Amino acid sequence: MVGEQHIAMVPTGPSSIWKASVNGQLKEVLAPSNSILLDVLRDKVGTLGVKRGCDMGTCGCCTVMIDGIPRLSCLTLAAEVAGKDITTVEGLADGAHLAPIQQCFGDHGGSQCGFCTPGFLITAQALLNNNPNPTNEQVECAIEGNLCRCTGYQQIVESIQAAAAIHRGESELKQPASDPHPDPHPLGPDDPTMPPGHAR
Amino acid sequence: MTGGYKQQPGGSKKELRKDGKRVAGKQRFAPPGSGGSKPVMSKRDVDFIPETIGGKESQPAGAHIHDRARTGTAVGKRTPLVDANAKVTGQAWYGDDVRLQGEIIGRIVRSPHHYAKVKSIDTSKAEALPGVLAVATGEDAPNPFGVLPVTKDEHAMAVEKVRHVGDLVACVAAVDEATAREAAALIEVDYEVLDSIHDIKKGLEDVDEPIHWRGKYHVGTTNLQKRVFQEFGDRSLVNNPRAMHNGKWKFKGVNHGFTEPHAVVAHWDPNGRLQLYTPQQVPHYAHRALATVLEIPMHQINVIRTFVGGGFGGKSDPFPHEMCAAILSRKTGRPVRITFDREEVFWVNRGRHPSLIEVEMYADDDGRISGFDIDALIDGGGFASFGHVTSYYNGVLATAPYELGSFHYTGARVWTNKPASGAMRGHGAVNTRCAVEVGLDDMAEQMQVDPIDLRLANLLPPHSRTISGFRITSNGMRQALHRVREGSDWDNKFRKLPLGKGIGVGCGFFISGSGLPIHWDPNKFPHATVHIQVDMDGGVTVHSGAAEIGQGSTTAIAQVVAEVLALPIEMIHVRSHESDTSPVDLGSYSSRVTFMNANAAIRAALEIKDKLLEAAWEVLGYHPNALVLNDRRIYYKHDPSISMSYLEALHKAQEDKGSLIASGAYRSPPMGGVHKGAAAGLAPAYSFSAYVAEVDVDVETGLIKCTNVWAAHDCGKALNPLAVEGQIIGSCHMGLGQVLSEQMVYGRTGHLQNPNLLDYKIPSIHEMPHVTPIIIESCDPEGPFGAKEAGEGPLLPILPAVVNAVYDAIGIRINDLPLTPDKVWAAIAKKMKLEGIEDATGLPTPRLDFSALQAKLVTRSEQHELRDNRRQRSEDTDAYVNGVLFGFDPNIPLEDQVDGWKMSTKPTPEQLAELGLAGSIWLKKEQREMEGDN
Amino acid sequence: MLMPPFELYLPVSITAACEKAAELLAGGFEFDWIAGGTDLIPNYKWHINSKPHVISLANIDGLDSISMTEVGCMARLHDISESTEAHPLVASAAGKVASSLIRRNATIGGNLCLDTRCFWFNQSEEWRSSIDWCHKCDCGTGADCRVIPNQNDLCVATYQGDLAPALMVLDATVHLIGPNGPRKMPLVDFYRLDGMTKNVLEKGEFLLKVTFSADVSQMVGSYQKLRVRESWDFPEAGVAAAWVKGDRETLKVATTALESIPRRHDEQVEQAEGDIKQLAQLIFKAVKPVNNTSLPPRYRRNMIKVLVKRACSE
Repeated sequence: MVGEQHIAMVPTGPSSIWKASVNGQLKEVLAPSNSILLDVLRDKVGTLGVKRGCDMGTCGCCTVMIDGIPRLSCLTLAAEVAGKDITTVEGLADGAHLAPIQQCFGDHGGSQCGFCTPGFLITAQALLNNNPNPTNEQVECAIEGNLCRCTGYQQIVESIQAAAAIHRGESELKQPASDPHPDPHPLGPDDPTMPPGHAR
Repeated sequence: MTGGYKQQPGGSKKELRKDGKRVAGKQRFAPPGSGGSKPVMSKRDVDFIPETIGGKESQPAGAHIHDRARTGTAVGKRTPLVDANAKVTGQAWYGDDVRLQGEIIGRIVRSPHHYAKVKSIDTSKAEALPGVLAVATGEDAPNPFGVLPVTKDEHAMAVEKVRHVGDLVACVAAVDEATAREAAALIEVDYEVLDSIHDIKKGLEDVDEPIHWRGKYHVGTTNLQKRVFQEFGDRSLVNNPRAMHNGKWKFKGVNHGFTEPHAVVAHWDPNGRLQLYTPQQVPHYAHRALATVLEIPMHQINVIRTFVGGGFGGKSDPFPHEMCAAILSRKTGRPVRITFDREEVFWVNRGRHPSLIEVEMYADDDGRISGFDIDALIDGGGFASFGHVTSYYNGVLATAPYELGSFHYTGARVWTNKPASGAMRGHGAVNTRCAVEVGLDDMAEQMQVDPIDLRLANLLPPHSRTISGFRITSNGMRQALHRVREGSDWDNKFRKLPLGKGIGVGCGFFISGSGLPIHWDPNKFPHATVHIQVDMDGGVTVHSGAAEIGQGSTTAIAQVVAEVLALPIEMIHVRSHESDTSPVDLGSYSSRVTFMNANAAIRAALEIKDKLLEAAWEVLGYHPNALVLNDRRIYYKHDPSISMSYLEALHKAQEDKGSLIASGAYRSPPMGGVHKGAAAGLAPAYSFSAYVAEVDVDVETGLIKCTNVWAAHDCGKALNPLAVEGQIIGSCHMGLGQVLSEQMVYGRTGHLQNPNLLDYKIPSIHEMPHVTPIIIESCDPEGPFGAKEAGEGPLLPILPAVVNAVYDAIGIRINDLPLTPDKVWAAIAKKMKLEGIEDATGLPTPRLDFSALQAKLVTRSEQHELRDNRRQRSEDTDAYVNGVLFGFDPNIPLEDQVDGWKMSTKPTPEQLAELGLAGSIWLKKEQREMEGDN
Repeated sequence: MLMPPFELYLPVSITAACEKAAELLAGGFEFDWIAGGTDLIPNYKWHINSKPHVISLANIDGLDSISMTEVGCMARLHDISESTEAHPLVASAAGKVASSLIRRNATIGGNLCLDTRCFWFNQSEEWRSSIDWCHKCDCGTGADCRVIPNQNDLCVATYQGDLAPALMVLDATVHLIGPNGPRKMPLVDFYRLDGMTKNVLEKGEFLLKVTFSADVSQMVGSYQKLRVRESWDFPEAGVAAAWVKGDRETLKVATTALESIPRRHDEQVEQAEGDIKQLAQLIFKAVKPVNNTSLPPRYRRNMIKVLVKRACSE
């Protein structure tokens, strides 16, 4: 099925140690010099939150932050970013505590099937890091390289703007989901807002 | 925040680092399952409790049977998806994220030919490559399969023939991806190339070697896969029409374009069971097909649905690559992972059918729609897939929301040597709907009436029967039209905007669940089953087979259970990934999940609730009828101080029994006619939608920009308005792609020229208009809390709305989608030449002077509105059958009606002479009918 | 998708890069330069003319300068588009390339040296095997051109870079460097027909920087890009025009995405004598796009008239 000058996939080229800081942790893995960052992150480092959608730079699902800049990991040679500071979607949250952008994507419907979400989050976070007060046009321009097939983008823009408001300190991060029910009547029956006849 | 206890790790909510992250500290969690940190419950949220049971939630469409199960807890509230946190943290595991110990990589060898016999396959070179562990070919799995039992025409790999470029021939498994790719390239296949068919029309002709052979049911020696003829109503009504529209449409194939490529992991475990991880919308059908192909009992297979990175119908067939992974895993005894490159996604396709559709529509002097005449020839590609159903849907889903004098449909689906078409969001209804809605716009123009008023004067009422026998229950069509008319300021814009700016309307009608399950025999199995288990910890585990594909089905189920049991949604844990633990569910297709699963879940939850209330009765001494559930407490409704916590009631109920278990099921009621094909399009409820779109057309370049959409959709009851709006906006995006830029381009050699996301042009954010989602709640009597579908129907109206808006902008109708700028420009150039216009900016735009009919239509729609309101609230329970507007008496059986009204599913000899393109296939005979001829 | 095997070199100076190139050439090894990679990497993933050695320019400092008169080859298109230093026309053309994410990687050097494109060519190895390959990447089969069959010696793949026409109308000079030393030339002389030859770069040479004369800041103009989507898409046709502010006599017009190379239409500008409509007609006559991009050639060609008019309007 292949032409005379078929480019053989094996043997792969010589491997060497690839080092970088991924989500604040130094990672060292063995990788061939032709490796694409996306492949290294998924198959070697294990950050499976970085998604492979089109592998050609169109969908943006593989976006990671490299030294604060959102980059398409599918179009980046791993060797070129060795030693740099790489942030994937796994690095946005602080343990179980979601970053505002993550919380807002959930709250405002910015994520449906969720496959493009990691890429959008990275792009959006990179935008907000530099500009916590973006116009809708600026948001649109920032995420024009990310493809979402579910949401029609509108709720994504709303999510980003909601997160921007938190970054600006205008609104507060919502309660984490693990706290399901703030009690509206902490004083119990003594609470003046308690409806009459309420359980004691 | 106050209350709650603290648990590590945690943080304080106020202190945020500069990057927005929380300063490390303590995080507060609520005590699980208790009545809160203090024995105090949240206030009843009366805004979300229906009027009919004393709350403040307005119910313009009347009461609902589920109202008394409402607690104001979750239903109707904007609820983030319950799996959102997994998705935003990168922890959601999609197909390719399943990495098992010792996994090896599978790769598929695909046909380079459109159509060929496989003479021999030499796998020796591949097998000799170090690192290759297994090779499999069609011989390893000869059993055919297919999503529909009537059309099983697929194999794991080619058994005799390959039917399109990219069809599967063999597969390999190797220690790593590089070796697998290399091995695949080393497999040598000897083909005998056959004459391939690419032109859809050629599919109707007799050929030497049809792509499939249906034995005695094969029609001639053509490539016809399915033909349909349907006629209802009184054909004589179309004589002497006031307006008549003829539209010959071309629709290109479109692909789902989900972002996650197909991926599968098969693991034949040490117990001899197959564990298959796959992003499937319909795991159950894959489960069945796997058993058939692998020749093992179903219980030996555990289908594990991973997170699904977008489905839209494209992940609903059982797929050959799933079989391949299983076969390779069985051969090697190791987990095998196969992930597609993007072009493989396009080769497996199952997208919307390329279609040639002709509509003829008639309106009479009263502005009534006297006839629809639809002829649809659809291109199925190499396999049947869902095509049997699509062949019907292209016609029958146009029988509402309008009252018709007659309906005539001929449809044909042919095989061609292209990747198979299948089900895609708005399955089968989208293209015809576009043609019909544009036709209405044209007829309104001919009659000099407003197209919205024309529609309003011809709507079927709630609780009625369509001309083809579908049972319509709730119907919010009229309200939807009113709302988009107001929202868009239609009356001040339509036919009044300057050149290049236009506004247009379109409507939609779609099934909310398929009335008949595809595989059920016996037919009394439920369509959906939900199990609920509650143990002493108070957490509610819900087992459902509903496939969450991002549409929010898991959230919807959690919401309804939370609503019934008055528990915070975080206490509801939906488990729906594995066939081992999930009750059988038919899957996420035909917009059935919310309707059917939520109904099943409500039934199961009500059973749990009964058990809890019985326990509370024992303790509190008051009959369950006098007990109320609210936020983890149960209390006596006349004296709320008499109460107990949910946990106390639960523990009481568990005495001597252990955990509470309940099962709920849903099966749609028997309905519909008995004619051939009557089941196609039957649904327990139907959704309705109306959109108004505004466009800017650059008259010099032909580029269209859709700027605004007012999108009203009747989903019965929005269980989760956040998700419903997401579905509406997302549908706009997908439909806009089909109408403006998306197409699968088959070049002059028949090859798919654009199997990648750069050349397959899904709209970017810049192409998205501002969408104003408008939710209409018609409160469906059988829907869960009144809900109907919202996932597919909202896609339908955007296409015709845009096409009609383009006409309003430039006075040109283009019946060839997508409306790429070259087509628009060519049409403009043609018109300029025809009218002798030098400069495109001098094009005339259509204007409207109302005729006398307009006032008549407005009067009729006002009368109908009163009728509809009464029927919607069930104040008027007379039977209403399509045709009443034309004098049809619903109380007289069809056979006793006046001459004209009839129903037939086969053309008469006289009709054979005048059939359209697809209809012409009825001139040919099936093989069994030809036997006598020889 | 895995890359085909190759060895990657990351020299840290221009000299080292040229030495590595010389060394590979001397050894008879084929190699490619890689800058941003947004063009080369997809092609490599699809096994399109990939080479066993690749030299990256990423680690060489000082190649990413951006100013009114000079732009280094590794200047990222995103940085150019956001820059207040770069000429506004260059910045605006850079901002119209592909998507914001691609522009983070893509460079001006890579954009000028962009490989020509064709829908028979920019496909996976499996796909191309199904059409028995094509002239531009025949895999040793001597395959014919699929766009214009029955001719074996011309590649009509389309050049779809956005920056070249904008730089051409600003009279840009390109500086090349390689084992045989540096050389420079006006950008208009850089491109060479056909779709495989593309430009004058010799084996081992790469484009080092683009410079402009000091009075470029006096020039104004615009770049008009025809595309279906305002993100991702390559131009289906592109027209740039520039002139010294207030002096329409100095008008220059260049086109892209219509042929295998971008082209400046000095002759037509001269003939038209300031009549833009006439100029549009002349350029329309001069270029003949073929059917190998998303939109049909007849349409793309006709759009020249509109784009020229818009590009030349003040």
